[in-house]
Amino acid sequence: MASRPDHRRRWTALLSIGCFAAVLALGACGSGDDAATTTTASRQIEGIVRPEPLQVGDLSLPQVAADGSETPFAFKADDGKLLFVAFGYTNCPDVCPTTLYDIKKARKQMGADGDRVQVAFGTVDPERDTPKIMNEYLGSFAPDGHPLRTDDADQLKSVQEAFGVTSSVVKNPDGSTDVAHTARSFVVDDQGNVVVEWSFGTGADVMASDLQLLLDQQDEDS
Amino acid sequence: MKTTTRAAAAGLVAGALLLAGCGSSDSTSSSDTTAAKKTTTTVAAELEITDAWARQSPMGTTAGAVYLTITSPVDDALVGASVPTSVAATTEIHETVAADDSKMSSTTEAMGGDTEMTTTTAMGDSTETTMAEGSESMTMQPVDSIELPAGEAVELKPGGYHIMLLDLVKPLEVGQSIDVTLTFDKAGEKTVTAEVREG
Repeated sequence: MASRPDHRRRWTALLSIGCFAAVLALGACGSGDDAATTTTASRQIEGIVRPEPLQVGDLSLPQVAADGSETPFAFKADDGKLLFVAFGYTNCPDVCPTTLYDIKKARKQMGADGDRVQVAFGTVDPERDTPKIMNEYLGSFAPDGHPLRTDDADQLKSVQEAFGVTSSVVKNPDGSTDVAHTARSFVVDDQGNVVVEWSFGTGADVMASDLQLLLDQQDEDS
Repeated sequence: MKTTTRAAAAGLVAGALLLAGCGSSDSTSSSDTTAAKKTTTTVAAELEITDAWARQSPMGTTAGAVYLTITSPVDDALVGASVPTSVAATTEIHETVAADDSKMSSTTEAMGGDTEMTTTTAMGDSTETTMAEGSESMTMQPVDSIELPAGEAVELKPGGYHIMLLDLVKPLEVGQSIDVTLTFDKAGEKTVTAEVREG
């Protein structure tokens, strides 16, 4: 008789594992369950959220037009919007287009709310990324995007420090150029707080879900 | 007692069913079993190159990347890649790596094999480790070869290995296809067609 309670406990444990697996499996099936995600009470941010958000609203970089004219662009979303920020370079064939394509796809998935997500892309390689190239390149992913470029290395560095990112551009004797940069991307709210950060490879589904959740929270608060 | 048991079993079955319902894991396991069957009946299977694609060029860039999956029946290595000069001037095999790592250590990591697949017990933990924080600075480096262990599907995918196209003659457009010639240490040369996709 003494074995009975033990037995029971084991099955209860197994049952909860089964349910846990089911929940995980539901979560793992990314596409198509938008309705399910919105109705679930336990929606949460999947990206990285710092206990103390980074403050970047006081910083700015020049937004360049194709003709080279510049307007200061502050790292703060317009009222009621969110600002996606990534740093990279246009000759980057792998990391940068993957991330920018993901945000393009995420905005599309969000429908009308996708227009409430602004996109800024700052170059870490201003020598090769001319104003014209920056506009063409970002335009492929976000025609309404903000191409950011400065020749002032110190200005770029202070902005990168605020975001906690690094980059280096090394010219090799053979004429090739090696560029290294942080592959993380950021979402800034209309107060200039970094509200979520995404590691490389986060993917459009998670981006769309996090952005929608943040917009919904913003709407509730206002 | 019986009811608890049945409920527990139902819970497990539901979990298993839902897990199987996810497309990707399903297809991997079924292709694994077919591969296993093939090896018992046929001696020499062909080297397989699947899902070859390249991303549509954003405007303003002269670099591109081709991704694909290679499964070799024997231990082999991808040692070279080329595309017609009408597509790009230079083709190199590249790897995107953490910039903090020295070149040596990242190479050993790539050759090292299955060290990641240690724990499968706690499902929750594995997702957390992928979110581990760090400077996450990444860079690309050319590699001489990519090891292809027998029967293992080696993926060239965003954020990992890719075939880099330098100095594109003209932007890659959706609908276009590129002939990519791959050179293997043992299997020799194979040409595959990579479709240009949006992303």
